[in-house]
Amino acid sequence: MKILEVEKLSKYFGGVAALKDVSFDIPEKLICGFIGPNGAGKTTLFSVITGAHSPSAGKVHLHGKDITGMDAASLVKKGVARTHQVVRPFKAMTVLENVQLAVHYGRHAVTRTHIAKDHAMETLKLVGLDRKANMMASAISLGEQKRLEVARALATAPELLLLDEICGGLTGSETHAMMELLHRIREGGTTIMYVEHDMKAIMAVCDRITVLNFGQKLAEGKPEDIQNDQSVIEAYLGKSDFGGKKRA
Amino acid sequence: MSAVEYLDLLLKALLLAGVYAAMAVGMTVVYGVMKIVNLAHAGFLMLGAYFAFELFNRFHIDPVLGAVLALPVFFLFGMLVHWVLVRWLPKSDTPTLASLLLMFGFWLVLQNLAYAKWGNDDQSIFTPLTLSAVHIGDTISIPKVNLVVFAAAVFCMVVLQIVFHRSWFGRSMRALIQNPYGAQIVGVDDQRTSRLTFGLGTAFAGFAGALLGMLYSFSPDFGRPFLLRSFVIIVLGGLESVSGVALGAIVLAVLETFSTVVPFPWYWHGWKMYHLPPSYQPVVPFALLVLVLVIMPKGLASLFNRKWKTA
Amino acid sequence: MEDRMKAPRNLSGWLRVILPWALLASLLLLPAVDSNANLMRLLFLTAVYSTAGLGWNLLGGMAGQVSFGFAVFFGMGAYTTALLMHAGHSPYFGFIGGAAIAMLASFFIGLPTFRLRGPYFVIATIGVTEAVRVIMNNLDITGGASGYRISEDKPFNPLEHYYTAIIAVALAVLVSTIIANNKFGLALRAIKQDQDAAAAVGVNPYTSKLWIHAIAAGLTGIAGGIYARRAGFFYPGDVFAFQTGINILLIPVIGGIGTIWGPVLGGVIFIIVEETISAKYQDFHLLIYGSLLMLIVLVEPGGLIQSKRLWIMLGKLLIGLFTGTTWKALFGMLRGRRFAKAQHIEE
Repeated sequence: MKILEVEKLSKYFGGVAALKDVSFDIPEKLICGFIGPNGAGKTTLFSVITGAHSPSAGKVHLHGKDITGMDAASLVKKGVARTHQVVRPFKAMTVLENVQLAVHYGRHAVTRTHIAKDHAMETLKLVGLDRKANMMASAISLGEQKRLEVARALATAPELLLLDEICGGLTGSETHAMMELLHRIREGGTTIMYVEHDMKAIMAVCDRITVLNFGQKLAEGKPEDIQNDQSVIEAYLGKSDFGGKKRA
Repeated sequence: MSAVEYLDLLLKALLLAGVYAAMAVGMTVVYGVMKIVNLAHAGFLMLGAYFAFELFNRFHIDPVLGAVLALPVFFLFGMLVHWVLVRWLPKSDTPTLASLLLMFGFWLVLQNLAYAKWGNDDQSIFTPLTLSAVHIGDTISIPKVNLVVFAAAVFCMVVLQIVFHRSWFGRSMRALIQNPYGAQIVGVDDQRTSRLTFGLGTAFAGFAGALLGMLYSFSPDFGRPFLLRSFVIIVLGGLESVSGVALGAIVLAVLETFSTVVPFPWYWHGWKMYHLPPSYQPVVPFALLVLVLVIMPKGLASLFNRKWKTA
Repeated sequence: MEDRMKAPRNLSGWLRVILPWALLASLLLLPAVDSNANLMRLLFLTAVYSTAGLGWNLLGGMAGQVSFGFAVFFGMGAYTTALLMHAGHSPYFGFIGGAAIAMLASFFIGLPTFRLRGPYFVIATIGVTEAVRVIMNNLDITGGASGYRISEDKPFNPLEHYYTAIIAVALAVLVSTIIANNKFGLALRAIKQDQDAAAAVGVNPYTSKLWIHAIAAGLTGIAGGIYARRAGFFYPGDVFAFQTGINILLIPVIGGIGTIWGPVLGGVIFIIVEETISAKYQDFHLLIYGSLLMLIVLVEPGGLIQSKRLWIMLGKLLIGLFTGTTWKALFGMLRGRRFAKAQHIEE
């Protein structure tokens, strides 16, 4: 069952094509990864899907309904949530309040404060931040803030979760913990679209990978197939140890 | 109205634009470089007018000369204000409430000080120029004052343009406008440039205020309508160039001048042509501001920039 | 300018609940104990301005949208109440009508202006006040620039006005408290800090701002109506004045922006200053307010209510008064102070 259909999505900034005729489907309950060299258009793709930018051409369908260009808040109500590459916690609120807000205004718009707080605590437990629930969001470490960002997006009870480079700046063990978290989220029934630079992480956790380059879809398939795909290797100009990435 | 009358109005509008530009440029640089909405700009304008007034009345110094003298005096004054008040403000790359309120409070203080010294009555500066005019043909008559003021304003704008684009200081300013953090990383002295910029902005405010004092009568509350106008011009013209300010000033001045004269269609029990009553004229800058901000949040400049923007 | 929209955290739990009720009770019982007419007038004015300030605070302190244009709602409350009373309705209907009209106006004002961010919004609100003032000056139905007179058949009853004002400010505090503690309040705080992040979790910033603007305008409108009724006469240059909008803004800012009791404290300070300077320093209004404002911004951005310094200073002063060491205490405290250095905004 397809949850998201992206049809010939294009986005031009001035004369530059950030996205060009990108089409793909996202099946339900999978973790779909998106990789590509810097500037390939991965974050732009997310921005266009979640309405931060409107596409120059193409359409996005959620369960068959057209959601092209819809704004972030409406998308949340429809079950599409997103994290940001540069985390944006609400610094003057506690960790709990950050997530509580998402519960209040997410897909199951919860009104009673204490119920929302309970839901928020459950989500915090899932990401492992429950002990820090009453700390100010500005007081926790970057890795924890990234997890908070994920918790916030999760708390809106999305069907489709878009994660943008959540491993940036994390240590090896933090990354590992994050990957475990993604598995748990998928087990909960949420579909995940995942943009990442960290190859180890993404190869380990994704069911399917799409490769972008210069705003276009280069390849798509299972992680093993992608690792051996000639055009992908050329795009990165690295060997299959996935340690370094260079522009083609 | 005949074509010649329109021309007369247009000329008056353009002359007004010159002064408006000089008035707005001070606020523009401060806003661009320091991201401070300087509400005290109105106070500086007012003080500029009184400055020229005092020089004229006590020492019989021609107000245009007074305006030019205002430049260094207000420059130093601005730097003093920055050193005492402004530098304590938290830095941010978007304007903060704190800066807004601080400048606003300072404006109130300036108003009160002016009131204490000169009282609340309207003052004016009358020179022989004020009453004489240049006549072109039968209908076009331009008071000489306006011409002189325009010339002075344009001269100053040209000087600013040179400073902005060809000096080290100007380049520092432009760097801070475009990217405050990046500028500091490459070595632009943020504090010093800010202080100089604030001085420059104040200098221009004083200068423009003196010129405006030649055109209009003034009281301690003088600056307020000009504040809104300056902001409209900033919004119209963008922050990155002197020519943007000039463009914005022209648009505003023309619209203001012609708003009461040019009929426009409006629906009220049927489509008819209406004239805007003169007492509603103060609404024009505000309406323009809202219109522009809603339709083009980045100002007219964005229309030109769009072609060259990259991902 | 921090986010502190909850009851003061430094008071222990039960005190936090009891004190407001105690305050309300004492205010309600005051006329029985001491019917000093001037005191009641002062408290009336304090309550009226505090109500308007509390209204402003909802939008400016809680949601972070600073509006210089609240005089519009104050004035509309005044005029609507006046007109409705003129048409024969009870003043209380007039107050409600004033609130309703103010709320309606707030939608019209908010629709274009809330698309603007930060300073653009603030400047736009300055323009709004001017525009409305110009229009009201030109409208004949409301007497134009020469003002409007409310006439009541009943004799002037200061007690009734007093109680109306106290109820109004109690209502405003109640509304603020409810909003501060529920989901809407949380959303507003989020909008204040990071509008786009709030949108990313499902908050619609635009409609939220419109709603809180309406509530804020409603409270301010009620304040305007109550004021007008007691004043009996007012004109656009008074209720729609730029200065009025400033006063409404100053009160929460000086008292404590974003807090519930800050605007109340601000109202008290405002009236004290007004009364004192009206008496002796008539001409130094703006100087005093301007200086206060600057001081608050530089030294105590959160307003006086959450200034530990202030309360400690007051405490020491009181002790000093009793033990005769006042001057020493004062100097000691002043010496240790510095202006706040750049408070770095967290990245």
